[in-house]
Amino acid sequence: MSGGEAHVENIIWMRAVVWGGVFLVLGVLAFATMGVGVANVKHHDYEDALHAYDEAKEVYYDAKNAYELAEGDNNTTAAELSALKTAKENAETAYKDAHDDEIEAHLSYLTWRTAGVTILLMCITYAAFLALGGFVNSIQPSDDHGHDDHHYGGDDHEHHGSGSPIVFSLGIMLFLMGFPKFQAVLGNMLSGEEFMLGDLGVSMIGLTVITLGIANWWREDLPFIGNGEQIATSAPFEGQHIRKAGLWVFIMSEIMVFASFFSSYLRMRTGWCTKWSYDEGTCREFPNMVINSHEEHPDFVMTASDYLRPDGAAGTGDFWTLLPGAVNTFALIISSYTIVLALKTAKAKNWEAPKGALGKLMPTQKAAVRNYLLATFLLGSMFIVLKLIEWSHLVAEGFTIGTQAGSIFYISTGAHGLHVFVGLLVMLYLVFKADTVGYDENNGQGIEYFGLYWHFVDLAWVVIFPAFYLY
Amino acid sequence: MGEHEPSGIFEKTFDGLLGQDIYFWNFIILMIFTLAEVGAVFFVGIPLNVVWAILIGVGIVKGYGIAAYFMHLKGDPRIYTRTALFPVLFVLLMLWGIGLSNPDGVDALPGWCKPSWDYATNR
Repeated sequence: MSGGEAHVENIIWMRAVVWGGVFLVLGVLAFATMGVGVANVKHHDYEDALHAYDEAKEVYYDAKNAYELAEGDNNTTAAELSALKTAKENAETAYKDAHDDEIEAHLSYLTWRTAGVTILLMCITYAAFLALGGFVNSIQPSDDHGHDDHHYGGDDHEHHGSGSPIVFSLGIMLFLMGFPKFQAVLGNMLSGEEFMLGDLGVSMIGLTVITLGIANWWREDLPFIGNGEQIATSAPFEGQHIRKAGLWVFIMSEIMVFASFFSSYLRMRTGWCTKWSYDEGTCREFPNMVINSHEEHPDFVMTASDYLRPDGAAGTGDFWTLLPGAVNTFALIISSYTIVLALKTAKAKNWEAPKGALGKLMPTQKAAVRNYLLATFLLGSMFIVLKLIEWSHLVAEGFTIGTQAGSIFYISTGAHGLHVFVGLLVMLYLVFKADTVGYDENNGQGIEYFGLYWHFVDLAWVVIFPAFYLY
Repeated sequence: MGEHEPSGIFEKTFDGLLGQDIYFWNFIILMIFTLAEVGAVFFVGIPLNVVWAILIGVGIVKGYGIAAYFMHLKGDPRIYTRTALFPVLFVLLMLWGIGLSNPDGVDALPGWCKPSWDYATNR
């Protein structure tokens, strides 16, 4: 190994495999406790609430019929009619309360079930990502380790460039080419219908190429301690790190992706007759109609904010429906700061351990960088879990992807969530490197470049959140 | 995130205040604006104009805070700012040409911010 790189033993990669196992255990535990244990209790509560609702409904309709019959009967005295009316009103109140309880119990069940399943699926992905990458690298011959391809003509001009992204991109292309059949086969497998295993072929080859590309990328990057960063030699980025310039160009393309979602949303949104546009007097379709609720006018377009906001037209919104989105907004901002702290700590020349409890969490500079990255990772993971909980509630309340408003909402917020999730996978590697080779002022740019992507994801949420939750 | 000398009123005022650096204060300001943004969602009966004001105002402040300080465009060579701003022209075109171009869209928007699609609707 050349002196410009850290010496990385193959055995170190086994740590990634072990981490993968830990994630798997954590995922199974989370699923068993939240997705099965608590969710089953909540499901019983939901069934009880449903039963109580059915009973209350029956009582209400009995009371209503009795009152209507008595109303039409001339023999009924005023006192009897009044008693029946009171009974009907009480039954109606109980019926509505039971309905609210049933919805609340259902959403509570969905919260735990979705959280458990999401954490399990996320942990399986994390485990597969770490374990496969670690395993592939751990079985490489030790003397073949490092950047053999980084020598030009036998001299010492090493560089930190890599061909792995091209391999990785090829894998993604193959995966997406086979994706229509891939998802159809998975759907058939889950529903117990017949399927052709061969239809998984193209996507599976794609996934294999992706795995190899990522594993090789890690193998090339892990020993990097700051020597050989490629510098642009021509305008407009002359003298700048090529990786950084490349990342900014990538972000540029990402801005266009989100701009297309946002402009599509805006085009549709300006044409919808929502309660807001009606109240504002800008609803062309129904200029003379008095609308008090969605039930009175089913053609009224319901947006996500109608379901989530406390004064939303769907009437389903309250403090709790908005909470996941609100918490997520803070989570992303905090995670942006924790990654800044990770970079700041890595770059610090005279770092001192903080005093008190924080000092115990971060006794060394290396541990501090790792833990700040870990905090970012946990906040990002929480974002995904809360996002899917929120989705499950919206779907349960009738806001599905089958509607125009639902389609643009789920596609936009889903694309953003996908970006967060991809960022989390990259962050797993950053945490792994921070824990093994470590980051310092010489190679801290790895955190900086990832941080640019992460901040962009935060920036995209700055637009998405008010546009979909407020408007 | 390279280190640089404080420049501008914001940095000169906040950098080093109470022993905290500019990133900390930027974070605090972002949190305050996020609180305003989230708070606005919880309030009921907000007029549409106020919603738009919040949407755009908070978005600009938060966008600037994240891009300028967390992404460190302020302090990095200008080429990165230019790269980041390059798509803005296309974004604006998309927002104007697609986002605000719905022929059945609301008519509360002033004419100057809606492209004319008469040729499409009259044909």
